[in-house]
Amino acid sequence: MALTIFLIMVVLLLLGFPMMIPLLAATFTGFMMLFGDIGKTDFMVQQIMAGIRPASLIAVPMFILAADIMTRGQSAGRLIDMVMKFVGHVKGGLAVSTATACTLFGAVSGSTQATVVAVGSPLRPRMLKAGYKDSFVLALIINASDIAFLIPPSIGMIIYGVISSTSIAELFIAGIGPGLLLLVLFSAYSMIYATVKGVPTEPKASWGERLAAVRRAVWPLGFPLIIVGGIYGGVFSPTEAAAVCVLYAVFLEFVVFRSLKWPEMYTIAKSTGLITAVVFILVGAGASFSWVISFAQVPQQILASIGITEMGPHGVLAVISIAFFIGCMFVDPIVVILILVPIFAPVVKSVGLDPVLVGTIITLQVAIGSATPPFGCDIFTAIAIFKRPYIDVIRGIFPFTVILLCVSAALIFFPQIALFLRDLAFR
Amino acid sequence: ADWKYAFEESLTDVQGVYATKFKEAVEANSDHTITLFPYGSLGESADIMEQTQAGLLQFVNQSPGFTGALIPEAQVFFVPYLLPTDQDHLGRFFKNSKAINEDFVGLYANQGLELLSMYPEGEVAMTTKSPVKSCADLDEVKFRVMTNPLLVESYKAFGATPTPLPWGEVYGGLQTNIIQGQENPTFFLFSTKIYEVTDHITYAGHNNFTTALMANKQFYDGLSAEEQKVVQDAAASAFDYIVGYQKSLADSELDKIKEAKPAMTITVLSDEERACFKNAAAEVEAKFIEMTGEGGKAILDQMKADLDATRD
Amino acid sequence: MKSDDPNSTDQHQMNGFLGVLDTAVSRVESFMLAFGVLLMAANTVINVVGRFVFQHSLFFSEELNRILIILITFAGISYAARQGRHIRMSAIFDMMPARIRKVMMILIACVTSLAMFALCIFAIRYITSVAASGRVLPALAIPVFWIFLWVPVGFFMTGVQYALTAVKNIFDKDIYLSTQVLEGYEDDEFEV
Ligand code: NA
Ligand code: NA
Repeated sequence: MALTIFLIMVVLLLLGFPMMIPLLAATFTGFMMLFGDIGKTDFMVQQIMAGIRPASLIAVPMFILAADIMTRGQSAGRLIDMVMKFVGHVKGGLAVSTATACTLFGAVSGSTQATVVAVGSPLRPRMLKAGYKDSFVLALIINASDIAFLIPPSIGMIIYGVISSTSIAELFIAGIGPGLLLLVLFSAYSMIYATVKGVPTEPKASWGERLAAVRRAVWPLGFPLIIVGGIYGGVFSPTEAAAVCVLYAVFLEFVVFRSLKWPEMYTIAKSTGLITAVVFILVGAGASFSWVISFAQVPQQILASIGITEMGPHGVLAVISIAFFIGCMFVDPIVVILILVPIFAPVVKSVGLDPVLVGTIITLQVAIGSATPPFGCDIFTAIAIFKRPYIDVIRGIFPFTVILLCVSAALIFFPQIALFLRDLAFR
Repeated sequence: ADWKYAFEESLTDVQGVYATKFKEAVEANSDHTITLFPYGSLGESADIMEQTQAGLLQFVNQSPGFTGALIPEAQVFFVPYLLPTDQDHLGRFFKNSKAINEDFVGLYANQGLELLSMYPEGEVAMTTKSPVKSCADLDEVKFRVMTNPLLVESYKAFGATPTPLPWGEVYGGLQTNIIQGQENPTFFLFSTKIYEVTDHITYAGHNNFTTALMANKQFYDGLSAEEQKVVQDAAASAFDYIVGYQKSLADSELDKIKEAKPAMTITVLSDEERACFKNAAAEVEAKFIEMTGEGGKAILDQMKADLDATRD
Repeated sequence: MKSDDPNSTDQHQMNGFLGVLDTAVSRVESFMLAFGVLLMAANTVINVVGRFVFQHSLFFSEELNRILIILITFAGISYAARQGRHIRMSAIFDMMPARIRKVMMILIACVTSLAMFALCIFAIRYITSVAASGRVLPALAIPVFWIFLWVPVGFFMTGVQYALTAVKNIFDKDIYLSTQVLEGYEDDEFEV
């Protein structure tokens, strides 16, 4: 059965159907094979609704809305101008800044899709203007946004911790090492890329110019304050911070800068709704698909057939990495964690692996998965928001995936990358 | 045949242990097998309930807190100080109560469900960021509750600011101080790591978490008398096991919390300290009757009678 | 993102009564989208203000957002279908010669349309069973099925859009992603 629905999905996907169709057709086939009764297909709809239910998803349209207002107005431009005055003269400076902004915003907002939108929409045009190729820009934005999974607070780690009964505090600390390592490697790649491709730099700005740029950015600097201060300070949940950002963006652009007119708010809200819908229908269809996979016990069968119980710790970690990598290729990361973690729990215990290390490795795989074809929320979001065809969005992803896979392998053989900080804090 | 059984917790939590015992008993005494689906693998509580009602699943474990949307009377389990914290008394009550074994069976049957067993998961503890000695200490505390109207009323009556929040956001919410308290049975505080983000555990004895196993009624009615007996016996033996198991569980899990976080304070409120919570309970009871009418009142009275009858 | 001109004329719009109807539906959908998003923002902000200023969370805030996200998603999928904005992997499709692309597009539009109509029916059945169960939203105390009513409507309207796309591709010499959008990824979001 697994093979049939997999084939249906891949064929429809490659033929160029809207991506919800391969998922829904595969799900429908699965239902018919499981129950032989078209009466049960109502539950495809139940699971689509379940997929778009999580309260944390509300942050996505809110951040899209705030980012769109900031980008159409002046806030985003002023913030980027300020950063450019400091790093514009460095080879790859803008790319490194983008990667850092994605990491920080993603870390705090907890939503990689929101990061793609909020950081990507203002910075992509600027990077294109600076001479970076679009394939590189898109891949950088998508992959750097996913570092967010590893830096606390991380929804993926919380869910892993809850269902595997692992200390979430330790997981959070353990994620920081690999997260920063990824940022460093992405930055290094960006600088090499900028040097090899000869991306031009701007003349170095004087301290006077820098000061002027900071002054112009004083109002918009309220955004990072709201997001970082609000969330880490315990004032808002990420969703609420997003909504407060919307309010602040409206205040700045319509009242302070007067860069937008009220009728534009309608257009912006409608465009936010459109992007939300095309991404969420895929999240819903993915949830429906994963229900079939889970009900049919497909992961259990595959694992039983490869004999995971006879493997040593490294083998088990490798299988876990591969399983999550593949799982995240097809469905939403949170769903993958919910389904696969309980399946692996007994094996992890029996070979005596540190559940914190396992959680970190799983979170890393989940991060890779959301940015890797064929299915990846961040890819969908980038397609929806930047209106680029699928192939353009994934064209530049390969080098980043290589870096991510190297870090995965490194984590298996040098667990101290993750556990060093944890041991320092807790042992 | 292979029967599907979904529940709301992990395999190692109380519902998971119960499910495992049930599965073992059924598989030992019949040719049938059971596949277990723990938390999240087929959706959330409301989803697995609907799947069971429609016959995709044969068995579902759902706590009455969630069933309240379907069967309003099931909210009776949130009337504070109705259920005792004495686990022996509770065990006798669930086993012999007419309210549970007849009245609720009828109410569940109306929803296409065969109620097989209701069982306790342990005394509910409050965990907070500042110490709680009385209702006054809950003033201005944003206290997370399940999205259940009667629970909201309870914590309003206790003096807190009840904040309904989905479970997935509770850990993060406590960490970032969006909320400052939540309640759950002791074992759940340890297994879900909530103790990491709160500093005080308080036992006010106001409730005991109850959960229930049910089967799709059409499926159950279609079984032979012999098979029905296998199912009933399995539910009964899992019940007996779980009542004994979870009696010592609260203590052992509390020890694990103390070991992992020595700074944690653990307080069992005295009778005087409980006075204001008990006073608030009357208010909540009135609210329950207001929300559920005659049917609710009848269940409540029957439960009180059953509790008296099972006291020793 | 480009700035959309609300007054841009649309040369691909359909004619006649159907065209008028389609325009009207499109206006309703876009209003639902914008209204849903703005209401969600307002609801969340008011909840924050309530919590800090009045020490009270809106008890229905979370449920209202849940209703709105369903509204946005299902008003949005048919609007996105009209705009040709649904996500697809078009790499192989784009490499084909025009004649084959045309046939593939008709096939894709027909199958997608059918799938949407089927889901519309599944959704109606699902809603009927939820309504029969009598389940209510805990905070708002309204029956749960009310919040799903947009779902079959959204699937149906999306099905109609893809059916019209198939028709358009059969009778027109160009290749259309939707009733209004020619293939290719130019910035061509049409306003109504
Ligand atoms: Na994060
Ligand atoms: Na992926």
